[in-house]
This record gives sequence, C-alpha cells and structure tokens, in this order.
Amino acid sequence: MSFARWVSIYGSTYWTGLAWTAFIALWASFGAVVWGCVLLLIRLSAGRWGARGVDAYVQLFRNTPVLLPIYLIYFAFPMIGLPWPAVVCGGLALILQNGAYISEVLRGSVNAIDRVQFDAARSLGLAPWGTFRKVVLPQVLVYSLPALGNQVVLLLKDTSLLSAISITELTMQAKLLTEQTGAAYEAFIVVALLYLVLVSSTEVLFRVAHHAVRWR
Amino acid sequence: MIPPGSLALLAQGAAVSLLLAAAAIVGGTVLAIVLAAAAFSRIAAVRALYRVYVYIVRGTPLLVLALLLFYAMPALDLRTGPYIAGTLVLIIYTGALFAEVFRGGVLSIPRPQWESARSLGLPPVAMFRKIVAPLVTRYTLPPYVNVCVMTVKASSVLSIISVWELTLAAREIIERTFAVFTILGLAAAFYFVMCFGIDRLGRRVERRLALRGFAGERA
Repeated sequence: MSFARWVSIYGSTYWTGLAWTAFIALWASFGAVVWGCVLLLIRLSAGRWGARGVDAYVQLFRNTPVLLPIYLIYFAFPMIGLPWPAVVCGGLALILQNGAYISEVLRGSVNAIDRVQFDAARSLGLAPWGTFRKVVLPQVLVYSLPALGNQVVLLLKDTSLLSAISITELTMQAKLLTEQTGAAYEAFIVVALLYLVLVSSTEVLFRVAHHAVRWR
Repeated sequence: MIPPGSLALLAQGAAVSLLLAAAAIVGGTVLAIVLAAAAFSRIAAVRALYRVYVYIVRGTPLLVLALLLFYAMPALDLRTGPYIAGTLVLIIYTGALFAEVFRGGVLSIPRPQWESARSLGLPPVAMFRKIVAPLVTRYTLPPYVNVCVMTVKASSVLSIISVWELTLAAREIIERTFAVFTILGLAAAFYFVMCFGIDRLGRRVERRLALRGFAGERA
C-alpha cells in the first residue's frame, strides 16, 4: 500500500492516540515540575534528614527503569483499594520518576543564585517560605528552562511505555493498527513522525520561552 | 514472603539485562565512533546525515523504534526472534547518545591544543592518538557512564517486545503469584545494584584517569 493511501485511510485513527499522548504528557509534565519543586523545598528546608531522604529518593528513581513504577502503581493500587484509571496510574508513575530528575535540575540552578540575595531577602523580613516562593523559585525555574525542556521531552517519549498498561496512546494505536492491517511499517512510521513533531515543537516552545524570559 | 524460585528467575533476568546492555554499550560505542567521525566530516552531506540520524533516534521513543524493528524483521524475512531486534535497536539508540557525547568531547578540546598539535606537525593519526583520544576519554567519561546507566534502564523497554529479561521475568512472576510489591521491589533492587555499580565503577575509572592539574580544566 502506498504511504499516501495509508494516511488517507487510517490517518484519522491516529487523532485519539495523539490526543491521549499530548494530554498525558502535558499533565504529567506539569505534575513533575510541581513535584520537583516540592522535593527541592524539602531538600532546602527540612534539614539534614530531609536532604538525605530526597537524596535516597532521587537515587532510587535514577537507578531503576520507569517501567517498574508504572507496573507497581498499575498493579498494586487496585490491590490496596485504589482502582484508579490506567491514565492516572501511568501519569503518576511518570511524575514520580521525572520529578526526581527535575528536582536535581532545579538544585543545580539554586547554586546560580547569588548568596547576597538570601541576605537581602532576610533583611527585607521575608520568611523562609516567602524567600523560597518569591526569590528562589522564580529564578530557579527561569535558569533551568532549557534543562526542563530536555526532561519534558524525555517524559513525552516515555509516555509510549504506557501502552504496556493498555492506554491507547500513539504507540498502542500503532500496535492495534498493525494487528488489524498487518502493515507494521506504515503504522509505526506515521507514529514515529508524529513523535518527532511533538518532540520538535516541545523543544521550540521551550527555546522560545527561554528567550522570552531571559532578560528579566 | 518471596515466592519460591522467583529469586533465581529474577537473577537470571538480571543477567540477561546486563548482557543486553553490555552488547548495546560495546556495539553502540563502536557505532558512535563512526558516527562522531561523520559529525566532523569534511563533506556537508555526511554531516547532515549524522544530524538526521541523531534527530530521528532522539526524537522517537525507544519503544517505537523497537516495535518498528520487531515487526519489520519478519517482513524482511529474518527469522531471528526478538533478541536480535532488541539488541540491534539498543545499539542504534545508544549509538546516537554516545555519538553526541563524543562530539561534545571533541568540541570541548581547547583550541590551543589543536594549534600546538598542528604547529608540531603531528600527522592526523598521531594527533588523534596523542591529543584527541586522551582528552576526549577524560572529558566524556561522566556523560558516557550516564549513558551506560541509561542503557541498562532502557533494556527494560525490550520486555514489551517479548525479550525475556529482568522486567519481563518480574511481570511473569507477578502474573502467576500476584506478589506485586515483593517482586517489583526485588526487580528494582537488581536494577539499582547494576546501575549504581556502573556509576561507581565509572567514578573509579575517572579517578584513575585523572591527570593532575589538567583533567578538570575544560575550555
């Protein structure tokens, strides 16, 4: 079957997959950034044991594949009385994993903040929470935008793993189409192209955002 | 607590994972050296080809590449099962990552090094052996080790194309025994030991290779 003919026949079936992938990637990225900020806050404010706890958490997720938390949440939550939909389980696993990486990214940027600013914040009478929210966080997020972009791209690609827990995102869609039609090349090349488009537009988006906020 | 026999199965799976990763690291490194050479080619078309390769491999999920190859293999009439496809896709994937690491390493060689090598009249082979290789290995060791760790983790994705390794072993045991927490915890422990071990090993090599007063200085 020619490629153009394939797209004209099956093109529309990809829309749901694309929507699911974009939806999961979007809310999981948002969640991962928030979770990364929370981990950073714990590391900075909860003393030595808080920092150690975050360290252990980060090391654990850094050294294990993301499929494990995906399976863990998907299989274990129904057993402990939380029959959440697969989309929530999968998204949660991605948030837990990527939050660990993002907290490390943000930690790197904290060091870029001039120490004087902390003294200034204190002399203005800002409480630690106020310092974190008004001084540390805005700068850290701006400094880390390029690295955050990389992490979001990784997360976006990892959403493909959620096909293993029966979410009909892009990869699952291609698998289903392959089983229906036997045309693996066509089904997966379209999906690969769609991922390339998603990844490239994410990268462009973050580059634009970085340029927009750089000179503040 | 631990379902009988599962520990041995998981250990076997871990061994397979490690073998897959080792094959991918060796194959990927060789591929990456060729690719990195292409990245610095004099011919613009070759450089463009390198960029396209890296763009495609880094822009698509590993699972999609794996499934593409997995389904394409029978179509090519290569009846080899998922192991060859899995190893191949890991090599393709790590090759792109390693190549970017090496390219970055070459780019961070300080300009005076190039200039002095040229002014000494070193032939290209000697320049590579005496200047480029020693510097690039030291510059790129930390990111290289990172990619190695990523490769071990990435091998878990192959479980989805039915390559029997640690993650698939864990999944099979869970489907039989429903011991989700125990089995996934054990699998995580195996992965952790492998990845953390590679990381520590990398640091040891890094210390051994360190040249006093130089290795830390980058352009």
